[in-house]
Amino acid sequence: MFRRRSIEVTALSDVSFAVEPGELFGLLGPNGAGKTTSIKILTTLLLPSSGSARVLGHDPASEPTKVRPLIGYVFGGDRGLYDRLSAHDNLSYFADVYRVPARQKGRRINELLDVVGLRGRERERVETFSRGMRQRLHIARGLLHDPPVLFLDEPTIGLDPVGARELRETVSALRDAGKTILLTTHYMYEADELCGRVAVINGGRIVAEGTPASLKAGIADRTTIEIQASGVDEPLVAGIRALRGVSSVVVEEGEEAQTLFVQSSLGAQLIQPLVSLLAGVSVTAVTAREPTLEDAYVALVETT
Amino acid sequence: MTRVFANGLRVHLLQLLRSPFDIVAMLVWPIIFASIAYYLIGTDANTRVLFTASLGAAMMMMWSQVIVGSGFALDQQRNQGTLELLVAAPVPLVTVIAPIMIASAAFGIYGLVVTLAWGRFAFGIPISIDQPAAFVLAVVAAILAIGLLGMIAASLFVLSRAASYLGVALQYPVYLASGLLVPLAILPAWLGPISWILAPTWGYRALIHAADGQSAWPQIGMCLLLSAAYVLVALPCLAWFERLARERATLRLS
Repeated sequence: MFRRRSIEVTALSDVSFAVEPGELFGLLGPNGAGKTTSIKILTTLLLPSSGSARVLGHDPASEPTKVRPLIGYVFGGDRGLYDRLSAHDNLSYFADVYRVPARQKGRRINELLDVVGLRGRERERVETFSRGMRQRLHIARGLLHDPPVLFLDEPTIGLDPVGARELRETVSALRDAGKTILLTTHYMYEADELCGRVAVINGGRIVAEGTPASLKAGIADRTTIEIQASGVDEPLVAGIRALRGVSSVVVEEGEEAQTLFVQSSLGAQLIQPLVSLLAGVSVTAVTAREPTLEDAYVALVETT
Repeated sequence: MTRVFANGLRVHLLQLLRSPFDIVAMLVWPIIFASIAYYLIGTDANTRVLFTASLGAAMMMMWSQVIVGSGFALDQQRNQGTLELLVAAPVPLVTVIAPIMIASAAFGIYGLVVTLAWGRFAFGIPISIDQPAAFVLAVVAAILAIGLLGMIAASLFVLSRAASYLGVALQYPVYLASGLLVPLAILPAWLGPISWILAPTWGYRALIHAADGQSAWPQIGMCLLLSAAYVLVALPCLAWFERLARERATLRLS
């Protein structure tokens, strides 16, 4: 009667990918697709029930002590720090925990405070920091022991546009400095800007892998029509899906309006039938454009 | 390794000292514990007996602070995402978990001071310590031993997402089995051997002996011996529960 029922979920299945030294590789996918699970296996925090992984030649499951000094792990959000301590105290503690030699510790902390733009704020408590500042401190923490491999799990999540841009610049500089980086993100423009190659993961399986350009080329025959509207309901979306030549429809609900992304091989020819179908609702803008990485991602996730 | 331990102790003490909840709890708990002990014995009892009771209450505080405080601390680390970072660090897990326990036990000194001060001002019990140096050493040995006893429980806290509840559940069995709440003489005989392997039993006896002017060295020695034994037990327990936590994905709340 009081027995707890456990549910078994297969988080990853037949996932296989390789990241070359010095490469910035993106792992893209919707929530629950298996991105964080992959990272946790590689960072020694999860044991897979089967299969194997290697980080610089070492197995994270059976050789965690060999893998841990070689990797840095940074996740998004405002967690992963001691809020009641200052930024300096946080870095000082993690420097010891990540075995930064005592003689190099002070210099390394100052260098990283410069890199992430927190010099001068290091004596303030983390609880007074903005989300962007925390995230930058998090990056500094992950780099303390100068690991050759970095795992960045949605590092820009929840950041304002300026903070996210600054963080992307930091990640870009790390790539240029020769770090091997595995990045997970929901933001396709981010992956497009930063990653040399990406893999799209959905339902625990890799559904596509290649350069952002090659994924976009996969839907080069399609045009995306963006429609700004309001009052579009589910039957109307079903009607659009049923139009000849439409391959996918995604509706993004905004505060004041909806944005419909309609992919089609018919290009601008589809605009007229679309406008006719939407005659009963308020439409403020219709534009046709070339496919982006986000369009390729949506097409892949919708069809798998 | 020493640097990790020392800095960890500093970090976790700072965390506790900057937490209004912990500060207030540590002010209220000793008053409640000490008052219960005094009324249980009878406020008209011999002042020496009452002082002994207040030392028992202080020892209860110390154990509570370790077992409940560290349960909450581990839950907090899990919640704020730092537990994963500590587990993924290249240093042995014991060097980052032990400071959490020892810091919690050391915070118990504050409880000892409040307990004795409350007894002095609310019940007029004189604070009389015949061997101050031995008393201080007894406090240090008790902190170390109780903190390391807590580390065995902490290995389970690394696995469980309900560490704070487990901590609360582990308070009273140790109060009873260590003779802190009621004398061991009135409890079943089979509890005797259990009390010998519990640090609060020897810490309490060491404090009483030092306060009464008797030799406290055998009791202090037992605290140190038990500390070493606890480390030997805690190390494989931590490794085992860490592996289970990695299997069951319990290092993070979500």
